[in-house]
Amino acid sequence: MTRSMDAQREVGIVVFPGSNCDQDTIKAVRELGATPRVLDYRLTELPPLDRLILPGGFSYGDYLRSGALAAAAPIMDAVDEAALLGMPVLGICNGFQILCERGLLPGALLPNPHGTFISQLETVRVTAVPSGFSGLAVGDHLALPIAHHEGSYRIAEGQLHALFEQGQVFLQYSDPDGAVHALTNPNGSVANIAGIASGSVVGLMPHPERAMAEYLGSADGRRFLQAWFGQKGSPGC
Amino acid sequence: MLTYKDVGLSEGEYQEIVRLLARTPNDLELGLFGALWSEHCSYKNSKPFLAWLPHEGPFVVQGPGGNAGVVRFNQDYDVAFKIESHNHPSYVEPLQGAATGVGGILRDIIAMGARPIAVADILKFGTNQRAHALRHGIVEGIGAYGNAIGIPTVTGSVGYSALYDANPLVNVLAVGLLPQSRHIGADGAKPGSVLLLMGQSTGRDGIHGASLLASQDFGTETESMRPTVQVGDPFMGKLLMEATLAIVTEGLADAVQDLGAAGLTSALAELAYASQVGVTLDVGAVPCRETGMSAYDIMLSETQERMLLSVPKSHLEAALRTIKTFDLSVAEIGRVMPGDFLRIYLDSNQVADVPTQVLVASCPRHVLPNKFTDRFTLPANSESAPIPLTIDQDLGFRVLRHPDCQDRSPIYSRYDSTIQVRTVWGPDHDSAILHLGEASEGLQIAVSAPSRWALIDSVAGGYAVVVDVLSRVASQGAVPLGLTDGINGGNPDKPEEYERVAGLVWGIAQAARDFGVPVTGGNVSLHNETESRAIWPTAALGVVARHPHPKAPVADRPDAKGLTIALVNPPGDPTLGGSVLAEELGRIGAYPRIAPDVTIKALNLMGTWARDPDAVGLLACRSIGVGGLFVALSRALMSRAPQYGADLRLSAEHAALDLFNETAGQFLVFLDPALKNSWVSRAQDGGVTVKILGETTDSPQIKIQAGRTVTFELHALWQAFREGGGSNHVG
Amino acid sequence: MTTYRASFYVGLKEGVLDPAGQATLQVLHQMGFSATEVRIGKWIQVMIDAEDVVRAQAIAEEMGHRILANPVMETFDVTVTPV
Repeated sequence: MTRSMDAQREVGIVVFPGSNCDQDTIKAVRELGATPRVLDYRLTELPPLDRLILPGGFSYGDYLRSGALAAAAPIMDAVDEAALLGMPVLGICNGFQILCERGLLPGALLPNPHGTFISQLETVRVTAVPSGFSGLAVGDHLALPIAHHEGSYRIAEGQLHALFEQGQVFLQYSDPDGAVHALTNPNGSVANIAGIASGSVVGLMPHPERAMAEYLGSADGRRFLQAWFGQKGSPGC
Repeated sequence: MLTYKDVGLSEGEYQEIVRLLARTPNDLELGLFGALWSEHCSYKNSKPFLAWLPHEGPFVVQGPGGNAGVVRFNQDYDVAFKIESHNHPSYVEPLQGAATGVGGILRDIIAMGARPIAVADILKFGTNQRAHALRHGIVEGIGAYGNAIGIPTVTGSVGYSALYDANPLVNVLAVGLLPQSRHIGADGAKPGSVLLLMGQSTGRDGIHGASLLASQDFGTETESMRPTVQVGDPFMGKLLMEATLAIVTEGLADAVQDLGAAGLTSALAELAYASQVGVTLDVGAVPCRETGMSAYDIMLSETQERMLLSVPKSHLEAALRTIKTFDLSVAEIGRVMPGDFLRIYLDSNQVADVPTQVLVASCPRHVLPNKFTDRFTLPANSESAPIPLTIDQDLGFRVLRHPDCQDRSPIYSRYDSTIQVRTVWGPDHDSAILHLGEASEGLQIAVSAPSRWALIDSVAGGYAVVVDVLSRVASQGAVPLGLTDGINGGNPDKPEEYERVAGLVWGIAQAARDFGVPVTGGNVSLHNETESRAIWPTAALGVVARHPHPKAPVADRPDAKGLTIALVNPPGDPTLGGSVLAEELGRIGAYPRIAPDVTIKALNLMGTWARDPDAVGLLACRSIGVGGLFVALSRALMSRAPQYGADLRLSAEHAALDLFNETAGQFLVFLDPALKNSWVSRAQDGGVTVKILGETTDSPQIKIQAGRTVTFELHALWQAFREGGGSNHVG
Repeated sequence: MTTYRASFYVGLKEGVLDPAGQATLQVLHQMGFSATEVRIGKWIQVMIDAEDVVRAQAIAEEMGHRILANPVMETFDVTVTPV
């Protein structure tokens, strides 16, 4: 059953010092008919909300380790609590890094293999559909831009298998036809992992909020966000 | 006791200071003069030739003199834009030098009240081992700053020559969007206002950066002159940007000035001079990062990420509150008063008192000899460029492999080009196209810096670089709003170098006038010379234009077979002068002087067609520049999996000249064959030549019939384009 | 030949701005820690084969000067110990 947008209206967008994709994310959320609420990192309690997004950027300049300083921000206790109660939480790029540093998602994101920033359009394959998503199926592929310096996903020895078993690996870098192999790995992520889910918490390195229309190179980000919102079968999929 | 030499001044300049002050300056005052009378701040050598540039135009809101030029975009928005150079610092410390270059030009845009929406980088590198490392650091630095502060790098230009080995060029164009209600500058400070210094605490960073580093040639002795390197902090830069824009939006400041070269000295003097007020500064109130800093250190520090605000007392509390929400440190450092002075106090003692008029506007300028510009009328004498009699595969591959023609993706994939979600065309195209949300019109940004064109005849090269950027605009049917120029040259004290740079600007000025597009600001960087080897005179041109249909640009690749391929405005007497192929063949020759009349007509005609491409059957289009028609055609067809090729028929005796001449103002077009004939007649009616070259095919190769037939496989061209080669070039 | 472990601590020169240290200090304060300054550098370990410790030290110093530290803005300390 498609949940109506009305039940999902209020989306908190957490802004840390150095976040820089907050405005893009706000625009995308608004385009999809929801109401963005900007949340200052100094808050210790969340207002009534339906969903949370940690947007991309360079929180605290990515200093020390990307995401590490923001993961210690005052608001993160409240984010923990919301996640525990099953609120959908989406971390994009730096937001994904923050969720990993906070321990809300397993693994860590290390610097890209050549130590350089990578900005390009990538294809990712849907490997599992996280809970709450609709309109995405395993095997679908999405063209989404990546733009990061630290996007090489790693997980402690022996845990990779469990991640796949439990359907936590939900996006993998692939070729344009959806085939996942070593040559389609832009950043040395283990098993080409581009996105991870844990209950209602999901994180991904690509930027769906930048792929909202064909004239921007891809409209697959719109499709991804609609799926996260639980909106089924949007036109043009 | 300091001498004038210690601060980089000449004896004559010192005597002029004494005369104007009617006393000898103290050490601190001498330091202020050293900074503001440096080439970098005073433009003492370049002002005479910059005066040639036209600044007036229908869209100009703010010409040169402010922190950036401003042009009208539509009824809601203006656009602020400017090129800045950070050449010398990028040689000393490539990563931080380039990063602080990006930070600096972004602050210029922000100080106009505009939100930066795009950056473009114009880079020149050498070809030796060290140049390779410099390139890596410079690209990393540009990305490190732009990516982190969240401004996309949307287009750029890169070129190579051994003459840039020890003098790489880093010119950065920044573009900002400015709601018309939000205008602010350095010129609005009112007596009674409080001066706030916001951002990073002041350290000993980059002291004498402007007077010594950017205003003298390099040599072994510059090693010991190295100041503490300025470190860029994009994180702080982001907070500073948001805080400044918040204060301007809330109307809390009457003037804003960023701190760049020559730090507080320049910021205070510029603000006072532009606002026609006096300012006092309590140097002890400036927050310092290090202990024991003298007034001299504080005045000349080039610590990054600082902004000077002039805030009326009634808004002071609100301004401080806003700044606090961004966790930025801020201090009240002085007052605005009626008068014409910069007075500095330390522990309530006055330690400097100088009229800002003298400090900012009285530096003796270079005086041009009588009839100096007469020499620019005739083309330079030089050996002519070679004329290959036949074409073969080798010529094509050598040009495409040349680093100036090669794929730039190893550079631009290190820059975030999609953040802010406006980028319809990014760095993989010849120009950038940004949509602006609800507005039906968008912004096109193009940059170009083909310095080889100016090597022998700098007037011809300067003229052509303007034609080149305007051609990219015409190929999209966009309306150019304004130009910005980054002029880079050698030691201006050498007459021949001075003349080369002046000629370059003369050419730019002529073209800007001929095509009716004003230059609203820019930058001059001289002394790009090491051990007496000067760089090529290099003009980095940037243009911003209003694009009529940004969400559907005119394609730059054909997407069907059977399309007519034609060349608009081929030169009547083509020459390889100044071209990549001429360099490959060992004799560059002088770049041709472009014929204004026919080129103006061609750009106008192209612009009209591209504005409504469907009406005329224009299916794809590219302007022709470095590498000539051959490179334009290759780039229109090559890809990882090429689909369409081309069959071309050229005259046997001219083929090489037709394919590889780089005369600006030509267009490669792909047309609906049904409308081909009407094209030719329409063009002729408009006085423009159109030459039909052939048609697109569905086989992935370029076949050229010119007496004999030469075939280039597109996958091989793609490989050459991507991977380059040739032992003498940096790949 | 003996194998030596050279441990380099590379840090910013005194006076050079350390944005990473500054941001980290700010968060430490936010978390309630008392701290007055943070400087962030890096530690590099290089294994060197050399005849003796004096020679190993000399090689290490040269590495530090020529590549591991950026002389424009960094300094380094190196200690060499036999493995």
